[in-house]
Amino acid sequence: MGANLFSNYGEAVAMILFGIGFGNLLLQNNLIKKIIGLNIMDTAIYLFLAEKGYIENRVAPIVTNGVQSMEAYINPIPSGLVLTGIVVSVSVSALMLSITIRLYQRYQTLDLDEISTRLKKEGL
Amino acid sequence: MYYMILSILFPICTGVYLLVRRDMESRKNLLIVTGAFFVVSAVLVILTLCITGNGIFTLFSLTDRLPILFRIDEVSVVFSVMTIVVVLCAGFFSFVYMKHEEKEKRYYGYYLIVLGVLVALCFAGNLITFYLFFELLTLSSMPLVLHNGSREAIMAGLKYLFYSLSGAYMSLFGLYFLERYGNTLTFSAGGVISAEMAAQHGELLLGICFAMLIGFGVKAGMFPMHAWLPTAHPVAPAPASAVLSAVIVKAGVLAIVRVVYYIYGASFLRGSWVQYTWMILTLITVFMGSMLAYREQVLKKRLAYSTVSQLSYILFGFAVMDGGSVTGGLLHVLCHGFIKAALFLCTGGIIYMTGKTRVEQLRGIGKEMPLLMWCYTIVSLGLIGIPPTGGFISKWYLAQGTLSSGIPGFSWIGPAVLLISALLTAGYLLPLTIQGFFPGTDYDYSTLKKKEPPLIMTVPILILTVLSVEIGLFPQIFINYLLRIVEKII
Amino acid sequence: MGLIQNFPAVSILLCLFAGIISSGLKKQAARYVNTILISGVGFLSLCTLMYILETGEAFVYVMGKFPAPWGNEIRAGVLEAFMALFFCIIMLLSLAGGRKKLADEVEDGKTFLYYVLMDLLLASLLALVYTNDLFTAYVFVEINTIAACGLIMIRQNGRTIEAAARYMIMSLLGSGLLLMGLCILYDLTGHLLMSNIKEQMGWIYLSGQYKMPALVTIALLSVGLAIKSALFPFHAWLPDAYGYSTVSSAAILSSLVSKGYIFLLIKIIYRVIGFEVFYESRIVDVLFAFGLMGMIFGSISAIRENDVRRMIAFSSVAQIGYIYMGIGMGTQAGMEASIFHILSHAATKSLLFIAAIGLTDVSGGSRQFIELTGSAYRNKWAGVAFTVGSLSMVGVPLFSGFISKLLFAQAAVQNDVKMLPALIVLGISTILNAIYFMKTVIRIYTPVEEHKYESIAFKNMKLYVAALLCFIILNVVLGVSSQPIVDLIGQGLAMFS
Repeated sequence: MGANLFSNYGEAVAMILFGIGFGNLLLQNNLIKKIIGLNIMDTAIYLFLAEKGYIENRVAPIVTNGVQSMEAYINPIPSGLVLTGIVVSVSVSALMLSITIRLYQRYQTLDLDEISTRLKKEGL
Repeated sequence: MYYMILSILFPICTGVYLLVRRDMESRKNLLIVTGAFFVVSAVLVILTLCITGNGIFTLFSLTDRLPILFRIDEVSVVFSVMTIVVVLCAGFFSFVYMKHEEKEKRYYGYYLIVLGVLVALCFAGNLITFYLFFELLTLSSMPLVLHNGSREAIMAGLKYLFYSLSGAYMSLFGLYFLERYGNTLTFSAGGVISAEMAAQHGELLLGICFAMLIGFGVKAGMFPMHAWLPTAHPVAPAPASAVLSAVIVKAGVLAIVRVVYYIYGASFLRGSWVQYTWMILTLITVFMGSMLAYREQVLKKRLAYSTVSQLSYILFGFAVMDGGSVTGGLLHVLCHGFIKAALFLCTGGIIYMTGKTRVEQLRGIGKEMPLLMWCYTIVSLGLIGIPPTGGFISKWYLAQGTLSSGIPGFSWIGPAVLLISALLTAGYLLPLTIQGFFPGTDYDYSTLKKKEPPLIMTVPILILTVLSVEIGLFPQIFINYLLRIVEKII
Repeated sequence: MGLIQNFPAVSILLCLFAGIISSGLKKQAARYVNTILISGVGFLSLCTLMYILETGEAFVYVMGKFPAPWGNEIRAGVLEAFMALFFCIIMLLSLAGGRKKLADEVEDGKTFLYYVLMDLLLASLLALVYTNDLFTAYVFVEINTIAACGLIMIRQNGRTIEAAARYMIMSLLGSGLLLMGLCILYDLTGHLLMSNIKEQMGWIYLSGQYKMPALVTIALLSVGLAIKSALFPFHAWLPDAYGYSTVSSAAILSSLVSKGYIFLLIKIIYRVIGFEVFYESRIVDVLFAFGLMGMIFGSISAIRENDVRRMIAFSSVAQIGYIYMGIGMGTQAGMEASIFHILSHAATKSLLFIAAIGLTDVSGGSRQFIELTGSAYRNKWAGVAFTVGSLSMVGVPLFSGFISKLLFAQAAVQNDVKMLPALIVLGISTILNAIYFMKTVIRIYTPVEEHKYESIAFKNMKLYVAALLCFIILNVVLGVSSQPIVDLIGQGLAMFS
């Protein structure tokens, strides 16, 4: 078990990062910190994917110097997935940030719980 | 065949029509229309009973294994005739009684729907059809309970609803199992459970049977789920309580008859723990109902407790599963239907004319409305079981059947409890007669006025009284007919 | 390759293009585009369904020119086409029912955005239903989330923005887990197409290797989608999101968005992991247990609620519990019951939301129960519709709710271990349902002495009444002639593998 962990340290780190991000997104009260947590979580997954697609002693799947042999490059699919994932995560982060701005403009706070209590008081 | 559907749909459709249409210009028009609906419904049902043979009519299928189908057998005839008579009498009674109540149109609308649903219950040919209309009965009779819209009435209505729904769910629980372990859900005399299934899943089937007994027993006011009855009956208008108490609770009885004798079969249950527990529960209910009625001062509540007790007479008869006791039970269905309806209508007459609801307020009532009180007295004697009334015959068969059944212990305890309860019945019904006719020397006769209710109120009561006595005078016609049922199912 | 085989892909693309075009249109035009789009897609789905029923087998449509292990695929079977059709119907009716109200709820300048979001939502739902590629599914899950968030937030008040924030956070947690699960699955099998993964999973399962990673993957996928569809402990965002957004949004969110995720989960169970493998992992029991808890706690929260729309929202929590209970049963019958309940709940819940808005509108806009007294007399149609919806929820025969309960019970009876808990909780939850729905029905039919509020005339709400009537008919059809639909579901499930 320990040996496995050590040889796959990339994946292990990705998992730890994922946990940190997940915990932050779930437990933090501050909206900005939540968004940071979200980004850590997503990044952890990209790290995991990149680690999975990487093959020792090969280069990124971009044809240079006319080398077309498959053996020269790493697996391109995970890289493609990471790119797609980044697009998704950017748009989601943007949406979250815009919601945060709206809430801040209205309530002058980033604490979600405090906003909830204030809403209850407003009786809306 | 189509008469069956027509006689079910006609009251339901006319009821819905009354609910949705605009208010009529005059009360008279409403009454004429409603009266016509009543009569046509009754004629349709009678026609259906005369014409239709033993055929099965499938309306449509809920799922492949669960068709909605109707069939008329002897039990349907007994229950539907009783239903029609009582509902019609109480319906015409309400023409006067409901004069001062608001929302009359709504009342008659739901009343007609209840009539249609009751007829459908009598005609239902399998358990799923029965369950469907059982639920509809609860929902359509609830507006009758909460008719006057007071907080008390709404709470009573909700209580009624939740008791009924819980009960219905318990029986649905059984339906789920039977759908899998029984061969079919279609009623057939003597039961549908195959010997193989009975051997394999005997205990499970018994447990389900018990759940269904308790579940349907809610409607029939069987202990421990009887508490809705004394709450719901007094708040409803008197004719509605007559229907509730005489007919709607019988839907629970009918359900139990169907489950026990037409799904399980007497031979499967005889001697099982279910039978014994069931008998114990009914005996407890008989005794407890009478005791509570004896101690109750509000007349309608007293009658409601009496219903609890009397229904368990019937159920006890079925629980014993002896030819005589089942005959007695079925006969008591008729007797109790007519008698309890008459009693509630008498109470309604008293409330309508005097506004008094408690027993101790009613001294000298017999001097004020002698005809009504005579009817009350006669049917009371019937409920107690004094010859030559119908109640005597049915209780005689009940007791005799129990004695001859040879179930250890119960064949003696049963009749004893029935006897004690009969005494209690006398104790809670007759004081009203005694005080009513013999108010005592200190009664002020100078204030006495004749307050006999109008004819349209007394005639239904008279009809019901005559019917209940008639069963006692010419029991043989009824008994012969009932014996035909009993032969098939025992 | 017939013409009809293009329809699923075309309908997804149509929705995306319609969204793009609508963003440059005025609100009237955007609405027309949206209505035509939904009806058109519905028609295309109907054609697809007919085609599949005729040929008797599912077809795979290859996107672009790349063949199986690399390319992106769309797969349409009976169940997929049927779901797409059903989603279109519900969406069309919900939008029609809430259209009049929309003018009050959304700023005039932003109405066109509402339809843009609807188009995108439909696109993502269709993609979730049809796709054969897990990563595509993930991308559209996110698009779905974003569109749904917009639909919550478009009614601008503090509550909705807060609800949208909570919704986003929960959804992102869910999709994070989902994505992680996908990556591990990809790591295990080396594929992203559902059919290929399933093949590999079968090998892995037989060889007995990688037990732990497989279990973790299944857990991650299930929990991720369960969070997104608001299964019991993850439902905190739901009442606010459904309770304060526009009425059409609430109806569509509760009946379609969460159902889209559940449908994806069912697809993953059948088409990715394999039913037996999924059943062997004990995740089913976890889903079952949470489903049961949801059924009870959702109803209890609903009983304590004083606001009619939040009450209906909490009832959704309970209903989603039903669906997960069915999935957790781990039998074919349980799955069929769950899918039927997806349909029946969608038809009933949107009916309830739309009827409730009619009732609150004639009660001065207040949603407190006390103000709703007698509202059924002021808006007769909404009263009737609410009653029908309630009866269906309680499970009265002749309405769709009864059939789904019947199917659940039949499924439960076949499973010896889970039979008793399932049936008992089903019973308790039925009675709890009855408590709050019947209470409301009695309340809205209790006459009031003084007439505080105006009643609404029929001619002012023709479209609304038409939508309600369609919903009622849908409900009764599901309740009365359920057998063909159940057969269809069974056929669709058989086509999954």
